[in-house]
Amino acid sequence: MSEADKQFNIHDYLREYLFPHFLCPGCGHGIALRALLWAIDELDIDKDRLAFVSGIGCSGRLGAYIDANTFHVTHGRPLAFATGLKLARPDLEVIVITGDGDCLAIGGNHLIHACRRNLNITCMMLNNEVYGMTGGQVSPTTSDDRFTTTTPYGNHEPVFDACALAEAAGAGLVGREITLQTPSLKDVLKQGLAHPGFSFIEVMSDCTEVFGRKNDLGSSAEMVLTQKASVRPDFLENAVDQPFRPHQIKTGILASNDRPEYAESYRNHIDAMKRDHGHA
Amino acid sequence: MPDFELRISGSGGQGILLAGRILADALGHESLNVAQSQSYEPTSRGGLSRADLVVSDAEVDYPLASDLDYLVILDDIAATASNDLLKQNSLVLVDSLLSELCEMDGYEVCYLPISESARGLGDIRSTNMVALGALTSLAGFCSQDNLLAAVARVAPAKLLDPATRAIRQGYAITEPQS
Amino acid sequence: MPDSAPSETVSLQGNHACALGALAAGCRFFAGYPITPSSEIAERMSVELPRVDGVFIQMEDEIASMGAILGASMGGMKAMTATSGPGFSLKQENLGYAAGAEIPCVIANVMRGGPSTGLPTRPAQADVMQARWGTHGDHPIVVITPDSVPEIYMQTIRAFNLSEQLRVPVVMLYDEALGHLIEQVRVSDGGDIEIANRKWAADPGPEFSPYAAGEDLIPEMVRPGDGFRTHTTGLTHAENGFPTQDPDVVEQYMHRILDKLEIHKGLIESYETIDTNDADYLVVAFGITARAARRAIKQAHEQGIRVGMFRPITLWPFPVEAFESIIDGKRGVLVAEMNAGQLITEIERYRPAECRIEGLNRIDGETITPRQILNRIQELADRE
Repeated sequence: MSEADKQFNIHDYLREYLFPHFLCPGCGHGIALRALLWAIDELDIDKDRLAFVSGIGCSGRLGAYIDANTFHVTHGRPLAFATGLKLARPDLEVIVITGDGDCLAIGGNHLIHACRRNLNITCMMLNNEVYGMTGGQVSPTTSDDRFTTTTPYGNHEPVFDACALAEAAGAGLVGREITLQTPSLKDVLKQGLAHPGFSFIEVMSDCTEVFGRKNDLGSSAEMVLTQKASVRPDFLENAVDQPFRPHQIKTGILASNDRPEYAESYRNHIDAMKRDHGHA
Repeated sequence: MPDFELRISGSGGQGILLAGRILADALGHESLNVAQSQSYEPTSRGGLSRADLVVSDAEVDYPLASDLDYLVILDDIAATASNDLLKQNSLVLVDSLLSELCEMDGYEVCYLPISESARGLGDIRSTNMVALGALTSLAGFCSQDNLLAAVARVAPAKLLDPATRAIRQGYAITEPQS
Repeated sequence: MPDSAPSETVSLQGNHACALGALAAGCRFFAGYPITPSSEIAERMSVELPRVDGVFIQMEDEIASMGAILGASMGGMKAMTATSGPGFSLKQENLGYAAGAEIPCVIANVMRGGPSTGLPTRPAQADVMQARWGTHGDHPIVVITPDSVPEIYMQTIRAFNLSEQLRVPVVMLYDEALGHLIEQVRVSDGGDIEIANRKWAADPGPEFSPYAAGEDLIPEMVRPGDGFRTHTTGLTHAENGFPTQDPDVVEQYMHRILDKLEIHKGLIESYETIDTNDADYLVVAFGITARAARRAIKQAHEQGIRVGMFRPITLWPFPVEAFESIIDGKRGVLVAEMNAGQLITEIERYRPAECRIEGLNRIDGETITPRQILNRIQELADRE
C-alpha cells in the first residue's frame, strides 16, 4: 500500500448519509468510483470546485453519493450538459460519469462531438456490457453470444470499441482499465484529470447480479478474474491486432494528443477579434 | 388603415431586398412607421423575389402586404405573382422590356424603361436603383435628397456612386417628356 | 450595432430583436442548432456574445443545445436556445428536466408549418399545445407570444426575468412571419429596463436545503463553488435535493412546482384588450394573427359592428380571470389562429354558455388576413 493510499480516505468524499447505497453486491461500479475519488484526492482538487455530471442508468446514480456539486441529468445527455457547465464555469473541474448505454447508444452523438471539440472535461464510462438498471437488456458493448433480456437467443450484434471511437473522434486522451487493477485505474484516471483536453476513460466494470447471473459467469471475483485473463499482456503489444477474444482488452493510456483545448481556442479567437475590431 | 403598401418584385439577384431596405430607411427618417417583409426562400439563383413595405404615420396594424397601393415589377417571374393584392387604384410600375408579358387590365400601369436605363448607365445591376428612383418620384414618398441619404446609410459604400446615379436616372425617366 | 450605445430606434428583424432582447436581459450563453426559420437568432448571438464576454456554441444537435444551456444556467449564467418545430420536439426531454429541476432558461420557438418537417419557411401557430404540454408529466412552464418586433424585444427581456425569478423554463413562441418581419425597435442602453435576477442563497451553511422554499415557493439557488455542494436531479426529489418516492414528499414537491406559477400569476400573466368594454363580439388572437385582427376590428367599427379583441401575451398559463371578466356578456367570440383549432379548446372552457364560439383557422402555410377576420366578424354579427 502506497503512502498516498494510506492518506486517501474515501469517507471524506462521500455523502454517507445517503447510505445504504443502491449498488448490487459484486458490482464493479463502486471500485471505479473509489479509483476516481482516489485520483482526485491525489491531485488535491477542492471539493467545491468539483462538478460531476452523470446520466441515466446504474452509472448515473453514482454522482449522488459524491460530496461535490453533482448533476444527475437526462439519459445520454451528461456530456451536453457538462459542455455548457464547463464553458460557463472554466474554474470548475467537470467530470462526467456515464455508462455504455448512456454514452455509446443514446448519447453516442454527444460523445463523438465532445471528443472532436476537446473541451477540458474528463469522461469516465463504466462499461458493464448491459443495461443493468432497466433489468438487463443488450447494450452496444455486450459481447458476442451473451444472453440478455432482449437477446434471448444470444447477442449477434457487433461490439462497439469505445476507446477506438474516442481516439478516432479526436479525444485528447484515451485510456482503459479493469477494476481489479484499481491502482492502475486510479493512475489512468489521474492522467485523464490532469490532461488539459477531453479525456475519455473506459472502465471495464462487471454486472454480477444481472448480466453475470444470466450468462452463468460466476461470482464477481470470478468475473473480474476472467476479465484480468482477457487483458492483453504487454508482450502482445505489437502482435497482429485481434480485436476480439482472447486478449481483447488493451489497458492503460491508449492514445493522447496535444490538440488545442476548446475553451482556450475559443478565447483566443475572441481576443484576436477584439484586437482586430477594437473591442476592448 | 395603413397609409400605403408597396411591393418591389423581380427575380432573385436583382437587388430587390436592398431597394426595399433603402426605401424603408428613408421613410423611417420621415417619421413614418414602416413594416418590412420579404420573400424568405433562397432566391439568389433566381426565383421570385419581393420586398414589401407597409407604411403608416400611426402604428402599423397588419404588417404584411394585403392591398398594394404600389407595385414594381422588374422581371417576368414577377409578372402576375401579385395580382391578388392589387386594387382598382393601384399604381403598377413595369419595366418596359416586360410590357407584353404583364396583363394589367384595370390598373394604372406605367411602363418605364427601367432596365434599359440601367443598361444605359453601364450596369444592368442598377436596375433596382433606377426603379427605386422612379417609384419614389411618381409616388412622392419623400424627397430625392432623403432617398439618397438613405442610400448612404444602408447601401455598401462601393455602391453609393452608381446607386446615386441610377436613382437620379429613375427620377429622370418619370419626368414628362418635352 | 447596439453595443453600449445609448438607446436608439433601429430597424430590426424579429429574430434579431429576440437576440438583442436576450442580451439586454443579461443572457451570456447561447447554444443552438441551425433550423429554419429561427437561425437568425443563433447567427446574431454568435456575433454579439463574444463582444460581451459571453459564450456562443453551435452544438451537435437540438438535444445537446438544450442540455448545454441547462449546464451553463446551473453554472450561474443566463442562457437561452432557439429553434423551430422539429427542434422544439427534440428539446422537450431537457425542457422537462429544466421544469423539474427548476433551472432557469429561455427557449425561442419560431413556429413553422407542421407536422414533421412540414413547411420550413412558412408561418404557423400550431405549437400552442406543444408549448404547454410537449414534455411529459405535469410540469410548470411559461409561454409568451409577442405580436410585433418591438414586443419580441421587450418580451424576451421579460422572459428572462420570469425564468430567473421563478426558476421555470420560459418559451418565446412566435411565428415565422414575425420572426422575419422588420420593424422599428427602440433598443435600450440598459438604463430604462428592469432586469430581474435569480434568488441566490446568501450564505448557504451545512443545514441549507436547496429545494426548500418559503411562502413564495421559489427555492434559493447556489452555484458550484459557493460553498454548498448541491445535488441536482430530474428524479423527483425531496427538499434536500435527493431522490425520493415518499408519497407525501412527492406530492408536496409536485404541488410546489405547479403552485409557484399560480401564486405568481400576477407577475406572469399579460394580455392586451382593444375596445372590449362595450363590444358585443370578441376576437381572440395572438402573434401575427392579432395584427390582422387589429385592422379587421377597425374596419368592423366603421361598419358599426361592436367588436373588441382579447390578445393573450402570456399564452400559458392562460390569463383565465382576465379573460372571464372580458368575455362576460359578449354574444359571440371568434378565435382566429393559424392551426386547426388549438387555442379555441382553452377558450371553450371559459366562455359563458350563451356566448357563441367560432374558430377561424388557416392551415395552408399562409397568414390569416384582415379581410378573412372581417368577413367572419360580419357573419357573426349577421347571424344574430
